[in-house]
Amino acid sequence: MSTHPTQYAHPEALVETDWLEKHLNDEGIRIVESNEDVLLYDTWHIPGAVHIDWRADLQDPVIRDYITPEKFAELCSKNGITPETTCIFYGDKANWWACYALWAFRLFGHEKVKILNGGRDKWKAEQRPMTRDVPKYPKANYPMPKKRFDKEIRAFADEALAQSKADKPLIDVRSPGEYKGEITHMPEYPQEGVLRGGHIPKAKSMPWKTATKDDATFKPASELAKIYFDQCGVKPDTDTVVYCRIGERSSHTWFVLTYLLGLDNVRNYDGSWTEWGNKVGAPIEKGA
Amino acid sequence: MSKDCGKLDESGAAEIRSDGMYPVKLNKIINLFESLPEDERRETLVSYADNAKKQEPREGENFNLVDVRKDEECMDTVGVYLHVDENGKAHIRMTLGPEVQTLTRAMTAVLCKGLESCTPQEILDLPSDFVTRIVGAELVRIRSQTIYYVLTRIKSICKVYLDRQRMAQVA
Repeated sequence: MSTHPTQYAHPEALVETDWLEKHLNDEGIRIVESNEDVLLYDTWHIPGAVHIDWRADLQDPVIRDYITPEKFAELCSKNGITPETTCIFYGDKANWWACYALWAFRLFGHEKVKILNGGRDKWKAEQRPMTRDVPKYPKANYPMPKKRFDKEIRAFADEALAQSKADKPLIDVRSPGEYKGEITHMPEYPQEGVLRGGHIPKAKSMPWKTATKDDATFKPASELAKIYFDQCGVKPDTDTVVYCRIGERSSHTWFVLTYLLGLDNVRNYDGSWTEWGNKVGAPIEKGA
Repeated sequence: MSKDCGKLDESGAAEIRSDGMYPVKLNKIINLFESLPEDERRETLVSYADNAKKQEPREGENFNLVDVRKDEECMDTVGVYLHVDENGKAHIRMTLGPEVQTLTRAMTAVLCKGLESCTPQEILDLPSDFVTRIVGAELVRIRSQTIYYVLTRIKSICKVYLDRQRMAQVA
């Protein structure tokens, strides 16, 4: 890729902390916190923010899948969200779960979505307002989504395999140790949940963190372009699949590719390594 | 669990046995959590997490063993400090790094309070099934396995203490 953009393709998909502090009470927005730490919202959150839990709220309790369109409509209605509401997501871990929740909202066709650049840690570091008060919003009437956009933004195991076989961009965003097969979970986490270590054949390693600065904000568009276009071989006219371990880190990369670099054919393989590493018949590669 | 757990210690400060399974203080905490609806359980866990800092060593305290380390079961450094008094009762203090998750902080406060004045052997013999009764099924997840981590670390330091006691006796 020879031309590198100097601006994000969709700068409107990001809000900065100072902007959000000035617009906390705006009509038509809903601030949504989504974290890995299940009790973090309860310790403090941005005033007016609602809590959406990646597992309890977004995942089906029985089948490994997302909630039904009916349940999504209920979830939004309960939080006073309508299809016209702009949802601004933020959370811990440099917005992993915020990006995951945003991606899940897009899965149900909710279009007005943004990420708080830098997430929860930046908000705290800047000593902006925090509260433990849980807001209550009048119940909305979110219509049941007519479809889920699985085909457009989600990849399944057979599609990841097809991507590999076709030599199309397939990006493993986990840590280098996970990619090489030395560990089966992130460093600092219990090594659990998967039988084999390694990566999907032909996948390129580009850890999610490469896209962020030290304060968890995103790198400039030109740097992102170098990383993903030059180093990963991502091309605007070719579809790309990203994966990690359970789909949250790859949601972060999916957001970067889709909203910051403007690619419209990126899919998140949310089954990721916990499916692939355990899947009977799935080929793996080890090493760098 | 040793039945000695039912006796008051010589200072009269610590009654530490109830149903033969858990120390009285811990049992009270378990019963409290089990009586709470989910939202109050969360509030109470956060309240315990807020109090985790109070479990840090205080000036002038001495310890028989100190174990400060960072390992992969937890997100940040966790320090365990053990003092065993002249009556053989254990007093645990803990330090937690800033990245330690809220549930782990909560369990730190729960365990430091609930196990106060148990003997190291009683702590070592404690079954771990009470953890889910405190935390509740809704919050127990793959990535929340660290809820057991603090208990494991406390048991670990007690085991080292007891092993060294035995070695000293043999010598």
